[in-house]
Amino acid sequence: MGRILIVDDTMFMRTLLKNILFSGGHDIVGEAADGAEAVARYQELRPDLVTMDVVMPKVNGIEALKAIKAADPAAKVIMCTAVGQEQMVKLAVKSGARGYIVKPFQAPKVLEEVKNVLSA
Amino acid sequence: MKSVPVKVEHGGKWVPTTLGIGEDRIRIDAPLDCEIPYKSVVDLEEKKNQVVITAGAEGELVYRIASVEKVLSVLKKFIIIQCSAYRLNAFFMSPAVRGGVLVQDAKWEKGAIAVLKTGIWFVSQESQVCIPIEDVAGIELTSREIQEKNLDVVKIDHLGENEVVTSFVLCPMTTLQVLYNFLREATHDSEVSEEIDPLTGQVAMLVYSGMDSSAIENMLKLSHKDLDAIYERLLGTGLAEVLHVRKEVQLTAKGVRYISNAMKSPTN
Repeated sequence: MGRILIVDDTMFMRTLLKNILFSGGHDIVGEAADGAEAVARYQELRPDLVTMDVVMPKVNGIEALKAIKAADPAAKVIMCTAVGQEQMVKLAVKSGARGYIVKPFQAPKVLEEVKNVLSA
Repeated sequence: MKSVPVKVEHGGKWVPTTLGIGEDRIRIDAPLDCEIPYKSVVDLEEKKNQVVITAGAEGELVYRIASVEKVLSVLKKFIIIQCSAYRLNAFFMSPAVRGGVLVQDAKWEKGAIAVLKTGIWFVSQESQVCIPIEDVAGIELTSREIQEKNLDVVKIDHLGENEVVTSFVLCPMTTLQVLYNFLREATHDSEVSEEIDPLTGQVAMLVYSGMDSSAIENMLKLSHKDLDAIYERLLGTGLAEVLHVRKEVQLTAKGVRYISNAMKSPTN
């Protein structure tokens, strides 16, 4: 089970992810509502894994991912975005994302992906 | 024509017989004793270890055939390639996304897509995929990066083994729009025409994600009664169906007495 930081600009999605991950036995160590806050929270909390929304105000998810990977190349980040933005996959993978989930998502698959990334 | 042993449904029973698989037709020996040209087939359904073939101009001839997977696979391929259906050569990727998670080893397969009465079939050298029309949750014409080029594809969202799966079809632009229109028409019954308020939409999203009633009530700060009313709206618009009805109970005097007794220390 992992210590997870959830990054998403909508409280609804953060709460949903929190419920799903908590039901899978994970510890939600923090939340962030934009990319800049995500980078700061990562430095502060050093979680085992980050779920990162792609489209966010101020600093977007890709930029935040790059900043986190620059500070900690071993960081494990799963990108999370809406249907129709699958084109971002390549960019995210190139930037160091370990996994990718597309909204809307289903709890068992999210937990499976998190487990895979945590155990890799 | 190659002959293989199969079972066919006849008079409500499964009867052993021989099936001949030819280039343009199949032959079923007694007791059915008939030939079915592939081009007369209007529908094909698959179930575990059996296929249901519907033939005839009005779809009046229905044959149920049970056999091993290898035989059914050959049979399905012949039928899909030659039956009476909208069909075209295409590349497909199925599944590409499962439950919102990208399938890492998904690849494009070259084959044919056929749209039958009850299902959309993809057939390639390596696989046969059937998406039942009633399981299609969405059809979209979109673009996808393939070999560093943005190409138009048809995206099909469908239910499969209790999860939502996304598949893609790629073919020349001239036929892609036709395929898209054809699929939209075939799945017209499942289109959402009703206005859904934001709260009902959020509840639908949580149900989709696998949250139970208790979790939804907690997340959205809803009372049991409020959630029931939203469920009624989802049921009324056909967006949801009842999975099971759970009872809420309170103890009777007898029940309270049982609990009181159970809590007494054995030494008292």
